[in-house]
Amino acid sequence: MSTSTALTPRAPSLLGASVRWLLGKLMGGIFVLWAVATAIFFGIRMIPGDPAEAIMGGPGSQASAEALAAARAHYGLDQPLIVQYGRQLKQLALGDLGTSYSLKSPVVEVLGELVPPTLILASLALLVAWMMALALAVFSTRSGVLASAVASGLEIVSAAVPHFWLASVLIMVFSSMLGWLPPVSTNTAAGLVLPVFTLALPLAGFLGQVMRDTMMEAQRSAFALSARARGESETGILLRHSLRHAALPGISLSGWALGSLLSGAVVVESIFARPGLGRSLLSAVTARDIPLVTGVALLSAAAYVVIMTVSDIVERLADPRIKQS
Amino acid sequence: MTYARPLAHKLVPAAAALAAALVLSACTPATSTTENSADDGTPVTGGTLVYASGDAEPSCLDPHVGGNYPQALVASQYLETLYTKDAEGKLIPWLAEDSTVSEDGLTRSVKIRDGISFTDGTALDAAAVKANFEHLLDPNTASSTGYLALGKIASMTAVDARTLELKLKTPDNSLLESFSMPWVAIESPTALKRSQEENCAAPVGTGAFKIASWKKQEAVNLVRNEGYVRPVASSTHEGPAYLDAITWRFIPDAATRYAALQSGEVQVIDNAQPDAIATATKTATLKHLDAPRPGASNRIELNSSKAPFNDPKTREAFVHAVNVNASIDSLFFGTAKRSYSPLSSVEPLAYSDDSLFDYDPAKAAELLDAAGWTERDTEGYRIKDGQRFSLTFPVSTSQSIPAEQSIFEQMQATAKDSGIEIKINLLDLSSWYGDLAKNNYNLVSAPYTKVGPSVLSILFHSDSTIPAPSGYFANHSQVKNPALDALLTTAGSTKDEAERKDLYTKAQKLVLEGYYLLPLYDQQNHFLYSDKLKNVGATTAVASPLFFDAWLSN
Repeated sequence: MSTSTALTPRAPSLLGASVRWLLGKLMGGIFVLWAVATAIFFGIRMIPGDPAEAIMGGPGSQASAEALAAARAHYGLDQPLIVQYGRQLKQLALGDLGTSYSLKSPVVEVLGELVPPTLILASLALLVAWMMALALAVFSTRSGVLASAVASGLEIVSAAVPHFWLASVLIMVFSSMLGWLPPVSTNTAAGLVLPVFTLALPLAGFLGQVMRDTMMEAQRSAFALSARARGESETGILLRHSLRHAALPGISLSGWALGSLLSGAVVVESIFARPGLGRSLLSAVTARDIPLVTGVALLSAAAYVVIMTVSDIVERLADPRIKQS
Repeated sequence: MTYARPLAHKLVPAAAALAAALVLSACTPATSTTENSADDGTPVTGGTLVYASGDAEPSCLDPHVGGNYPQALVASQYLETLYTKDAEGKLIPWLAEDSTVSEDGLTRSVKIRDGISFTDGTALDAAAVKANFEHLLDPNTASSTGYLALGKIASMTAVDARTLELKLKTPDNSLLESFSMPWVAIESPTALKRSQEENCAAPVGTGAFKIASWKKQEAVNLVRNEGYVRPVASSTHEGPAYLDAITWRFIPDAATRYAALQSGEVQVIDNAQPDAIATATKTATLKHLDAPRPGASNRIELNSSKAPFNDPKTREAFVHAVNVNASIDSLFFGTAKRSYSPLSSVEPLAYSDDSLFDYDPAKAAELLDAAGWTERDTEGYRIKDGQRFSLTFPVSTSQSIPAEQSIFEQMQATAKDSGIEIKINLLDLSSWYGDLAKNNYNLVSAPYTKVGPSVLSILFHSDSTIPAPSGYFANHSQVKNPALDALLTTAGSTKDEAERKDLYTKAQKLVLEGYYLLPLYDQQNHFLYSDKLKNVGATTAVASPLFFDAWLSN
C-alpha cells in the first residue's frame, strides 16, 4: 500500500520516522494537487471552445466584440497563457479558487453548497455497500458451495452494471411501476433511497468479491483451525476472526471506492436531478467553466490524498508488519 | 400562442378554427395546440405548481445577460415585454400602449402603458424602458440576443413620462417583433442598478409572479405577485394569478422528468421527447401542449462554400437521396410535422414548397452523373477526380435530441444507396461551434429562435457569413447572393406590409430552390402536464408558457 515507507531508512526514533513519513505524504499530496491543477488548466484549453463565450451565456451566443472583450478583460483571459497559469497557481497557493464563470459566484462558496449533498449521498452509499458486501460474504461462507456460487454471480453482475442503466431500471420499477419511491431525489429519506442504491450496488459487488475471498481464506487458516480446536463455534470464528480479516482489504480499497463514488455521482446526480459536486462538474465541463472544474477536481484530489493517507495510517496502526517492510 | 378561455367564450371561434383547420390541414403547418377538457370548471385559487425543465439551469435569471431559451422559459413568469402575440399570432402591445414610426422609418416612438409598477414598487415609465435598453446595449451586461435585437438603435430620449423616442441607424420593421422577445423584457430600473450578481439572482419585473428564492441545482421559487392588475389582452381573468407559487425545477434526464410527471411529483415538464409524448397522449391523466418556436424551422444546412456543395446540382442530388419523411414518421411517432420552409410554421410569412424535397434516388443519380460524379469506389461511394462524395456532418448532442440524431443516422443509410457518404460526428456544443468556425462541415443543423421573418436575414444574408469575434456566424449554408441580399435588406426596412411579405416570399423561394437547406420540422417545443392543471396553453411570442391563467384542481 505505502510505497514511500519502503524508501524511508530506519529512523533512530519511531516518532521521527513517523513525522518524516507524514511529511513525505504531505509533499506527495501537494505534488498531486499541483499536477491536477496543471493538467486541468492546460487540458481544458485543448478542447475547443472559448471560455469568454462560456461567460457570455454559452457557446455561439453571438456575443459582440465589445462584450467578449469585456468578459476576457474581466477574467484576465486576454493575458498570455503562461501568465494566466502563473496567476492561477499563485491564487491557488493562497487558497483562492477564483470565481465561477457560469455561476458568477466564488468557487469556494459554490463548493461549500455542493459538498454536503454529495457527501451525504456518497457516505450512505459506502455504508450500504459495506453492509451488503459483508452480508453477502457471511451468507456465502456459511451456506456452502452453491450459495457461494450464487453470491459470486450476483457480485460480478452488480459490479459490472453501469450506473446510468441501474438508475433507469430502478426508476422504472420503483417509481413508474410500483410508485413506492420518488424518481427525483430530494433530501427526504425516500428521495435518497434510489440514488444511494444505484451507487451502492456496483460498489457492493466489488467489495463483496474481495471480502468473500479473504474471508474464505481466513476460514481455512491456521488460526481458524486452532479456534475450532479450542471449541469455538463456526459462527464465532466467522464473527470474531474471519470478519476482521475480510474488512482489511475493504478498508484499503476505500480510496478507490471514493473515486468510484465520485464518478458515479456525476451520473447519479444528473439522473436523479440531485444537487451536488458530480452534476456541477458535468455542467462546468460543458460550459468550459475553468475555475469551477479546477475547484471540483482539486477538492476530489485532496479528498483522495487525505483518505489514502488516513487509510495508510490506520493500516500502520493496525498491522505492525507494514512499518518494518 | 393560444390563450385558453372558458369554453362558452371560446366555442364559436373554436368551431370556426376547427373547420378551418380541417380544410387547411393538408397544406397548413401546425400551430400551437392544446387539448382543453370541457369540465375545466370554476378556477380555484391556491396551490403550488411544480414545473420541471429539461434545459440546463440558467446561470443568470436575467435574460438580458447572454440570452437563451432556458432563460426565456423561466423569465416569462416574472418579466413582461413591450409587445407580445395574441392567439392568432398577431403582434399586440403589452407593456407598451402604442407605437408609431416616422415617414423615413428612422424615428420610432413608443408609448408606455400607465399605472404599472414593478414588484419592487418602482413605476414603469419611459425612463425605465430607456434604462432597460441601455442595460442591454452596455457591453458589461454581456447581452447577446437582446443586444442583437436592438442593434439598429442609435440613440433614445424619454420625451415625457410615457413616451420613448428611438432614433435608428437604418429603418427596422422588425423592431416591435424584437420587443416581444423575453430577451428584451423590461425590468425594474431600480433593480438593474444593483450588481450583476444580485440582479442575476433575482431580477425584478412586472410579471404575474416574482422570484422568492433560487437554490441552485434545485429550484427557482416563484410566488404570486399580489399587486398584479393588468394582464395581457387575451387573458381569461383580471387580478392576481390563481396559483400561489411556482417551483421551477431542473431535471436534466428525460426519463426521470417523465417519471416525475407520472408520479405526480411535478405537474408540467418541458422538452418532452417523442416517445414520452406518444405514451402520454394515450394516458388520460396527462395532457400535451405543442408550441413550435418562432423563427427558423429545424433544418439541415448545406455548406455551399466548398466542394461538393459548391455545385448546385450536388445539393439538389443530396436532397433527393435522403428519405426524410419515413424517418420523421417512424422516429417522432407523429409528434412532428414535416416542414418545407426555412421559417417556422408559426411565422405568418412562412413560405413552403413541398415539391422540391421528395425522396427520388433516380433523380439523385441523374444529377450526380450530370455533375461528373460518375465513378464509384470499392465501397460503392461516388468519386470525382479521385475524391469520394463524402459529407462531414458535425451534430451537437445538446441541440439535436436523440430522435433527431437517429434521423441523421437513417439519412446516412439512405444516402449510401446513392453513393453519398455522410460522416456524423457527435459533439458537445463548444466543439461543435469549433467545427463550424473552422468551416469543417458540409452539413449542419442549428436551431434559431427569433420572432418574425427577419431571422431570414440572419441566416441567409451574406453579412452573416462574416464571423463574429468569437468565430460564430449564422449563415451556415454560406449563401452569398447579391440578389438575395438586396431582397432581405429591402424586406427588413420597408414600411409596406404587402411589399415586406412579397420580398420575404421571394427570398424564401430563392434559398429553397437553390437547395441551400433541407427543412425538417418546426423547432420542437413540447410540454406535457397533469390534467389537474387547468387553463394551460397561453404562451409568449417565443412560445414559452405563461401560467397566469392556470389553476390547480384538487
